[in-house]
Amino acid sequence: MVVNVKKLVKRYGDLIALDHFDLEVKEGEVFGLLGPNGSGKTTAINCILSLLKYDKGTIEVFGKPMSPDAYDIKKDIGIIMQNVAVFDELTVYENIDYFCGLYVTDKEKRKKLVNEAIDFVALNDFRKFYPNKLSGGLLRRLNIACGIAHKPKLIILDEPTVAVDPQSRNNILEGIQKLNKQGATVIYTSHYMEEVEQICSRIAIMDKGKIIATGTKDELKAMIEIGEKISVEIFNKLEHIVNDIQKMSGISSVNYENDLLVIKSKRGNNNLTNILDYLKENNISYGKIYSELPTLNDVFLEITGKKLRD
Amino acid sequence: MFLHIFSYRFKCLIRDKQAMFWIFMFPILLATLFKMAIPDVGNLEKFEPINIAVVNNVEYQDSDAFKSTLSSVSDSASESNLMFNTKITTEEEAKDLLVNNKITGYIFMDNGPKVIVKESGFSQTILKGFISNYLQVTLQYNNVLEANPAAMQNFLSEIADNKSYIKEVSNTSASPNNSLVYYYALIAMTCLYGGMLGTKEVINIQANQTPQGARVSLAPTNKLKVFSSSILAATVIQVSIILILLVYLKFALNIDFGNQLLYVLLTVVAGSFVGVSFGAMIGSIIKGKESLKLGILISTTMMSSFLSGMMWLDMKYIVTNKFPIMAYINPANVISDAFYALYYYDTYTRFFINIGILFGFSIIFYLITYFTMRRQKYASI
Repeated sequence: MVVNVKKLVKRYGDLIALDHFDLEVKEGEVFGLLGPNGSGKTTAINCILSLLKYDKGTIEVFGKPMSPDAYDIKKDIGIIMQNVAVFDELTVYENIDYFCGLYVTDKEKRKKLVNEAIDFVALNDFRKFYPNKLSGGLLRRLNIACGIAHKPKLIILDEPTVAVDPQSRNNILEGIQKLNKQGATVIYTSHYMEEVEQICSRIAIMDKGKIIATGTKDELKAMIEIGEKISVEIFNKLEHIVNDIQKMSGISSVNYENDLLVIKSKRGNNNLTNILDYLKENNISYGKIYSELPTLNDVFLEITGKKLRD
Repeated sequence: MFLHIFSYRFKCLIRDKQAMFWIFMFPILLATLFKMAIPDVGNLEKFEPINIAVVNNVEYQDSDAFKSTLSSVSDSASESNLMFNTKITTEEEAKDLLVNNKITGYIFMDNGPKVIVKESGFSQTILKGFISNYLQVTLQYNNVLEANPAAMQNFLSEIADNKSYIKEVSNTSASPNNSLVYYYALIAMTCLYGGMLGTKEVINIQANQTPQGARVSLAPTNKLKVFSSSILAATVIQVSIILILLVYLKFALNIDFGNQLLYVLLTVVAGSFVGVSFGAMIGSIIKGKESLKLGILISTTMMSSFLSGMMWLDMKYIVTNKFPIMAYINPANVISDAFYALYYYDTYTRFFINIGILFGFSIIFYLITYFTMRRQKYASI
């Protein structure tokens, strides 16, 4: 086990930020910590890294108890924080070299690692640029390079794509997958379910300081009742349509909003066929019609009763 | 590792334009302004002879006693007795000179000397005092001559033996020059401005203050090592900046700091230690953003410099006389006083007391910083 957290409790006065939080991250996985803003993701990461005091619980990293002066553990951890942590007075190269130098003392080895990190985040053309001359996306890439230049075994990324353009976001996500293929274990926190679905092999969903579900994305989706979401474009709403479909077998819920009839059905066969038959038999005209599998947002919604980005 | 951190922190600080303006450019600009506002610092207290005229009429020509007295403090006098640059003119010329401000006033003999001035002032008072004194002595002379001519010899020897009962005693071989206090306070202010560097170094290694601090805290590096190499970089920059300021003051602005170069350097180093350590302490104990910390630091420094006489010379003496403890706990005052003692005293007791206080301050400030920073986990970030 790379990270093993048991019964972690962290309070800020009366507010419980982490409520008996448990986490197990295995070697070689990309582990996603998904939850809305304020759910305790960053607090959990800061506790794991021994930056924050906590009230109860145990934290082990690489099988050893984590503490602020556990240098043998820290040397194998790379962290990419939510806020960009670079110095405005140093160039791209100098920033990466400075932070890498806190881990690697050998000058030649460090030079090689810094160059590899610059290649990895594709900042070769910007080596001598100062951070204030970089776009938001390039700045995020520099932030990542500073965190991974020393080739850590465990990489923790805390919301690294906040306020990043789509191109840089894809670049960052691809980079994380590449690092994982090179052997690094990754913990990735985000409130963007699409990103977590895209790159994480296992996911924990957090709310109010607790892990409310853990598993692969398929395991998580299997936990809920909804098997399919069917959307039908209908321009003239008729009250009886909602009631009729609601009464059909295997239907969980029906909503009509903005000319769109959204039907959530339980697991089973022929849900879409049954809907189409009903519309045809009743001569109801419709526009587009499509079917989707449930998302992690549906999982979160069913478990907590609220949306991920509420 | 130590050198790696030192060299990068040195680069960061030297490239910080805002800090460099306040620590390096601002004192140089201020010193230049001082020089322009007080152009001839060395001669500020030197007495300049007063330009006067005497109307050359018959009575003046006949008044040998007055001519002789005036001559003794005019052009023919020794430098120490020289009071007036006297011009003998016609009445019209004297009036013209007065109207055109070429002279402070003129003397017109009409049953004795009369002073004509067009405004009141320091020079006019001196001229009037001189004439009053002359008239008083002349009157006494005439009275003695009328009442007891035999006593005239004693009277003449007594007025010739004019005694002063106040004696000026100098503590130094240096000539007094109060306006140097302005420059001492300016150097002191610059030393304390080094606090900006100390503040920046401290917040950049604390996880609860900056993201950079969090990243540094997560590295497998001893915090004391990071702190000491960062503070050393700040101190080296601060000492270098003050040395450049001293060179500028001495060679470009011709400010005389005496000849004790090593002691001047010791003062600068001690002052820089206090400045950087004070900033480090502010950075560690004040909670809030960097701008808040720097705001508190700059306002404290300005107040400290004001109380040491940078904006108003008399403030230094008021504080020293009325609130002596305040004078000893004000770092800017202690730094400027070290320079003052070095320049004005031939012994080093006062100087070394000041240097001791400065190093004492540094130790206290660093201890407070250390005890605040040694905590490695935070309650909140």
